[in-house]
Amino acid sequence: MTAVTVRMPRTRELSPRWEVFMLRLGAGLVLLGLWEGLVTWLSPSYITRPSGIARVFWEVVSNRSTPLTQLSGSFWFDVQTTLVAVFEGLAIGVTLGVIVGLAMGRLATVEWALKYYVGALFAMPVIAILPLMTLWFGYTSTARLWIVVIGAFLPVALNVYEGVRKLPVTYLEVARTYHARWWNVWFGIALPASLPYLLAGLRLAAGRALVAAVVAEYLLAIKGLGFFIRSDTQSFHQNQAMVAVIMLALIGIAINTTIDAATRHFLPWFRREGR
Amino acid sequence: MTSAAQDVAAAVAETGGARIQIEGLAMQFGELRVFEGIDLEVGRRECVSIVGPSGCGKTTLLRNIDGLLRPAEGVVRINGAPVTSPPKGVAVVFQMFGLFPWKTVFENVAYGLRMAGTSKEQIREKVPYYIELVGLNGFDKAYPYQLSGGMQQRTGLARALAVEPEVLLMDEPFASIDAQTREILQFELLRIWESRPTSMVFVTHSIEEAVLMGDRVVVLHGRPSSVREVIEVGLPRPRSRETLATDRFAEVREHVWSELMQEARQAERELQ
Repeated sequence: MTAVTVRMPRTRELSPRWEVFMLRLGAGLVLLGLWEGLVTWLSPSYITRPSGIARVFWEVVSNRSTPLTQLSGSFWFDVQTTLVAVFEGLAIGVTLGVIVGLAMGRLATVEWALKYYVGALFAMPVIAILPLMTLWFGYTSTARLWIVVIGAFLPVALNVYEGVRKLPVTYLEVARTYHARWWNVWFGIALPASLPYLLAGLRLAAGRALVAAVVAEYLLAIKGLGFFIRSDTQSFHQNQAMVAVIMLALIGIAINTTIDAATRHFLPWFRREGR
Repeated sequence: MTSAAQDVAAAVAETGGARIQIEGLAMQFGELRVFEGIDLEVGRRECVSIVGPSGCGKTTLLRNIDGLLRPAEGVVRINGAPVTSPPKGVAVVFQMFGLFPWKTVFENVAYGLRMAGTSKEQIREKVPYYIELVGLNGFDKAYPYQLSGGMQQRTGLARALAVEPEVLLMDEPFASIDAQTREILQFELLRIWESRPTSMVFVTHSIEEAVLMGDRVVVLHGRPSSVREVIEVGLPRPRSRETLATDRFAEVREHVWSELMQEARQAERELQ
């Protein structure tokens, strides 16, 4: 018998994951370097750059940055204000979105009545109606709350609606065969079956809620990270403002990471469902 | 003709009287007439297999019996009452299993019971029994995605059996399962059903399966289709793997096969 030797490809010395991490880190450093270099080389000295941000970073995050106006609180107070507004708005908007999405998906009359309005509002930049909100609610945090609610509501409603419409017929046949009541069909079957859509909607909603909150603070001049950025920029504290911008990016990442982690933990069947 | 009708009456009587009565059933989707003039009775402890070329409306007929689809003409009666929506005491095993991916095996099996308002204690008592009956011990906490197709359909079967139905409707239950597993499941279903026979309507496109399961085999043909022949299988129960080797099994199988082949040849000629 002849021995057959199979030559295995040499195992890589670095694991791919490690390589990917290094690649990412490298790309980030190059981008920061470019920013620093180009600004130093081409722009006036008051333009913000990474080294300038790094210099004020600890001062800002340890709350030692002096409030510029009475409206702007300390940094963490502003972070908290914005986060609370975003989560309140998300809670209300997502709940409403789920209910309206389910109703549109399950009831033809609701679908016909609302479909185009919800679609049109979704396509419109929600910020455009902020001035109207100020007419109703004044330059207050209530106006901000409602703009966040609308921002969160629309993508959730549309996505849940889409998910319910694509409900596999078999699920409904099973439900009818075993005499499920309407609330079981809505919340026990249609809702969990549309969770993939709901989660996609939730990611959109979180992004839109954050944008809505910050822009509302910016335009209405009410407490929060948006106003922090506005007042610091207007007084040429751009490095301080950039710390708040970085904070917003981190909040966005944190929300999406939390959604992913919660999905993996609580919905183990999700993502494999389509097999 | 009279003697054939008498035979059927005798067969139905032998199996405890009619549970399902189908009279002049016709189905239509828009312009498309699927089947018409279907008359059929299924006894209380009888299994009737339905075979026919694909597209002949076997699955549609099953949905008419469960009241999931309203027929265009005719009536289906279960225990004498006309079916207009899914009646009590009827369970369906679906071709694509119809399991809820977000529920575990236990929760899926418990679904019918929960919808029927069965108490938690009773569910905790009954569900493990049916999980064991279909051979899924130890998998009650598994999700459908963790199971093979065969095990998913065992779950689907357990969910149907758990409500202790008077009528069991099987919609090509083993069609999307690999050949070896299908054979295992066929004999397990036989064992389970023969230990506690109910009215079973078994829709399949496999001739062997139809003959093995059924007390009678209904052959549908034509477009729109109608009952071409009802064949008495006449194989003793309990049936097992040995049944497949008997002369009678081969005889009935060939008979059903030639009925379906005539149909297929005719269709081919029409195409030419």
